[in-house]
Amino acid sequence: MDSSTDDTDADEETRAREVEVPLHLYKVVTVFSTMFAVAFVVGGFIVLDTATQRARLDFGEMNLPLAILGVAMIAAGALVYAFATRFRAEGMGKPKDGSDEPSNNG
Amino acid sequence: MSLERKDEYDHGEWMREKNLTPVETTFLTVLIWMDKRFRIVDYLEILETLYYRVNMQMPKSHTEQYNLDNKFWYWYPLYALGSFSTIAYVVAALSGALLGFYYAPATTGDPTTAYNQLAFIMTELNFGFMLRSIHRWSAQVMVAAVFLHMLRVYFTGAYKEPRELNWIIGIILISLTMVFGYTGYLLPWDQLAFWAGQIGVEMSLSIPLAGEWVAQLLFGGFSLGQATLQRMYIIHVFLLPFVVTTLIAVHIGIVWIQGIAEPH
Ligand code: HEM
Repeated sequence: MDSSTDDTDADEETRAREVEVPLHLYKVVTVFSTMFAVAFVVGGFIVLDTATQRARLDFGEMNLPLAILGVAMIAAGALVYAFATRFRAEGMGKPKDGSDEPSNNG
Repeated sequence: MSLERKDEYDHGEWMREKNLTPVETTFLTVLIWMDKRFRIVDYLEILETLYYRVNMQMPKSHTEQYNLDNKFWYWYPLYALGSFSTIAYVVAALSGALLGFYYAPATTGDPTTAYNQLAFIMTELNFGFMLRSIHRWSAQVMVAAVFLHMLRVYFTGAYKEPRELNWIIGIILISLTMVFGYTGYLLPWDQLAFWAGQIGVEMSLSIPLAGEWVAQLLFGGFSLGQATLQRMYIIHVFLLPFVVTTLIAVHIGIVWIQGIAEPH
């Protein structure tokens, strides 16, 4: 457990970075990042709704800074979620390679 | 010595060993900070343990025995759709019973009594707007849930032997759900209701041989009037509730007796 990542970015740029963490920390990451992501996305939509009065205002009338804040919150939620996917518990495979099903559709 | 359970490792020390980017370190530090204060993960772990304790006492299912869960798990949330249909039905029944205190199926007057009572519910009755909205929404949700439930049953093959009877009861249920929707749609006796009723009469009349008889029976005549509204009302609040409630009970009773279908 001395190397920090499964694949350091040296050999393949395209592969997503992965960080192996202890199981408990993995649970912490999953639970809290999901909570934050949900709160941000839902909150973002509420803010966006408020800024545009549920999309009923004309373009010129809407509260632009608030609308931008709403969109930014939605993006932030997505970002937190996406960022959290790089953390893995020990022994956890990548979804694609780790699958134990044969590809013959049953 | 404190009673608090010690973490299995020292977060700070461990993080220094790994070469994490600053963003990663901050991210993890924040989440660990949250975790120390709100021990949600611990509570979830308790639930997880309880879940497995209960499950261990159950016989192994076909999916577990042949290790199909890894292909099939994404269907499981859709097994909730039958329950969603039931919940939507119960919500519609309760809100409908309350609406029944204020509605009257009469075409007298202009605007008609029926329409006036709706206007009263919407504008004057306390929580009336909410009550009617709950009734309409639950009705819409029920139709959608029942349809999706049918798709779930079809695509998991749950209609196959020995569950043919429940599929047929299901067909009756989805049809009656739509009759529920149609009869309810006519009750406000506004323009939408009236012309939807007109379409209904003409569709009935178009049935070969039995057409006139069906139109008489369901709509109380060949043109719309008091008899039509009254029949829609009785179908909606008296006939269908008994029939559909019974059928849902039988439908779920059969699932209970036969057990839920394994994927085919
Ligand atoms: C008022 C409408 C309905 C209600 C309230 C209802 C309710 C339920 C419930 C609670 C279940 C237990 C399993 C599950 O939730 O998926 C179930 C199973 C089933 N339903 Fe329905 N259902 C309705 C309509 C239908 C329709 C339209 C069909 C098909 C045409 C259908 C066919 C079946 C079958 C075959 C099963 C057994 C599935 C299995 O064992 O896996 N149901 N239904």
